[in-house]
Amino acid sequence: MTVSGFTVDVDQNLYVPEGGRDVSAIVTVASAANATGFSSPGPATGPTANAELILIDCSGSMEYPHTKITEAQAATAAAVDVIRDGTWFAVIAGTNLAWPVFPPDGTMAVADPASRAAAKQAVAGLRAGGGTAIGQWLGLARQIFAAYPARLRHAILLTDGKNQHETAEQLAAAIGQCEGVFSCDCRGVGTDWEVSELRRISTALLGSVDIVPDPSGLAADFATMMQNAMGKQVADVALRVWTPQHAAVAFVKQVAPAVDDLTSRRTSRSPQAGDYPTGAWGPGESRDYHVGIQVTPAGIGQEMLAARVSLVASSPAGEDVLGQGLVRAIWTDDEALSTKINLRVAHYTGQAELAGAIQEGLEARKQGDEETATAKLGRAVALAHQSGNEDTARLLAKVVDVVDVSTGTVRLKRQVEDADEMALDTRSTKTVRATK
Amino acid sequence: MTGGPGEPGGTCPTCGEPIGATDSFCESCGAELPPAIVSTASPGYTPECPVCSVDPSAPPGTISPDGYCESCGRRVPSGRDHAELDLGLLAGVTDRGLRHRRNEDAMALATAAAPAGQVAIAVVCDGVSSSPRPDEASLAAAQAAVRVLLTATRRGEDPAYSSQAAVSAAYRALTTLGSPGQAPSATYVSTVVTGDAVTVCWLGDSRAYWLPATGGDGATRLTQDDSVAEQLVARGAMGEAEAMASPQAHVITRWLGADLADPEPHVTRFEPPGPGVVLTCSDGLWNYRSEATGLAELALPAALSDPLGAAASLVKFALDAGGVDNITVVLIPFPPAGSATLPRRVQP
Repeated sequence: MTVSGFTVDVDQNLYVPEGGRDVSAIVTVASAANATGFSSPGPATGPTANAELILIDCSGSMEYPHTKITEAQAATAAAVDVIRDGTWFAVIAGTNLAWPVFPPDGTMAVADPASRAAAKQAVAGLRAGGGTAIGQWLGLARQIFAAYPARLRHAILLTDGKNQHETAEQLAAAIGQCEGVFSCDCRGVGTDWEVSELRRISTALLGSVDIVPDPSGLAADFATMMQNAMGKQVADVALRVWTPQHAAVAFVKQVAPAVDDLTSRRTSRSPQAGDYPTGAWGPGESRDYHVGIQVTPAGIGQEMLAARVSLVASSPAGEDVLGQGLVRAIWTDDEALSTKINLRVAHYTGQAELAGAIQEGLEARKQGDEETATAKLGRAVALAHQSGNEDTARLLAKVVDVVDVSTGTVRLKRQVEDADEMALDTRSTKTVRATK
Repeated sequence: MTGGPGEPGGTCPTCGEPIGATDSFCESCGAELPPAIVSTASPGYTPECPVCSVDPSAPPGTISPDGYCESCGRRVPSGRDHAELDLGLLAGVTDRGLRHRRNEDAMALATAAAPAGQVAIAVVCDGVSSSPRPDEASLAAAQAAVRVLLTATRRGEDPAYSSQAAVSAAYRALTTLGSPGQAPSATYVSTVVTGDAVTVCWLGDSRAYWLPATGGDGATRLTQDDSVAEQLVARGAMGEAEAMASPQAHVITRWLGADLADPEPHVTRFEPPGPGVVLTCSDGLWNYRSEATGLAELALPAALSDPLGAAASLVKFALDAGGVDNITVVLIPFPPAGSATLPRRVQP
């Protein structure tokens, strides 16, 4: 399939001072709303179809309160309802074990009115009981997905508790095996689950993570997630970053709509090029990436290509270069040029610092290090204010009392709802867009 | 339009026999006829990286289609990035500048032995950056125009008339390059310098100046920009400095391109009162010094005897001042007294 309609734009300060090594740019990747290759959201089953899995927590705690399991069942039904005809799908239940709920034989069904009704009936029969071993769930999902040559594989994972019945190493190993096989959006219901645990999964599997504090919010959230998944039509898109000899990629981060550090996700493609995964794309999407390169300085007046950033879609049929942008460097002795700050680079540097400050601040608070927590969360308040990130500012205000917003002077609140703290943690990576 | 083979093209400056309009050599005596020379006659990038090719430790690198070394990433020179042309009677230098990725200016120079004496011809075009493929537009326009001017001059035709014909030819070249919806476009200025007059023809904001040998007061600009800034100044709405600092300073109101149905160039004839130099340039130069007297101070007296050296100095002046745009400078000493020499390409 030939895909077009993607654009790659680079925004940077071209000028580097004499002897300067650091080159940094914001790369904006966007897909057109009517891009070709997106035009036929084909219902056909086969290599062009998508595959969807829902992993639902059935551990004993889902009974407390009982609405958790009933709302999770309703949410799964809501998600099943928006699965498009022709899509492969299945539902898995997870405790300290994992088993297929629908189809019960561990295959995938082709979505149609009858299979959707059968799936909902099977889900309605689920009962809660047992422990939590999320690695087991992921392992079964991987097995089921692997048997289907789908264009796109996506899962929704719901849990209400910590991963208590296997080791962190076991979970990490399971996550590692799923990387590149499917993407996964993670949801935690209630407040007894671990944000960092789910974030590890969602980050590795290129999905989102969020809290649903009240089980009654699950159905709407699941339907939205599944609708988004149905919109994705180009899988396995990577940023391929070529750099000159003797240059190094300092970092590659997605910075909008949320911060996601991809630096360690590099797959080498040639001695001078590596791929960074961006996951699946639907029409009308736009994401920003912050790319930092360290180069060997050239002479004053000389220009160097610091990076060639290509958007590459891979499929069994081969690779498709969807777009390309150039990160350049020109060495100058004119300080007015080299010290000019690119506003979008500065903005996203601030947004990444904001996400880091929140996560570190909350961690310090958990450890009882109030001084660090106050400093970090104060810095976060100032950054959120300066950059106009109002959603994050609102979440911060539930965890700290703001004394002076501009200097980031805050006091830790004595009483903080768990749900508020977890919402701040999960949503700390959400950024506001820098306009050009 | 250029004539076909055999079409009359004037007489051979060596033996006086008739020559064809497109002949490169005189059919009678075999003397080489000076052809027009275009700044971009050798487009494309150098085949190997100037840095890696002399570094024994560097792996052999190829050059990417967009002009970067595939090994060290350095931008390699393009035939178009910097070119110096010297025809003896006139000389020109064009340069990419420091900010743009490519040189979208083009220049075409020619000399001709007309019945009335030596004639120097220059065309400077500046690709309109907001149009598609502006580099191709400027090159195509300059090439098409200089051919017409050279042929017409050899025939002894009126420069004002041939200047208009040259614009028509350049316009036709651009209509074949694009369509009204996708119109590669360029500014245009031509100067035809004979023993008694300077004929200037233009569209857009590339300029011609008269710089008298006496310097100072007699220096004058021969063109008026087709630009928003110039209109503001002309209406008295703003002073020149204020207008040039305004955001629309470089918005041009006329240009050459398939999207402008009927190009109406300005044509003016100027009779120099004495010896001096005609400067033809793109805005990459005059951005940094727009008054004629100031340019005369920079160019004279070197331009009278060494047009190539003086053109290179003016380009360097613009680069030192920031080099924000592509820069093209052509200098033609008046009167065109020296004998026409065969073109030579000067290695940067």
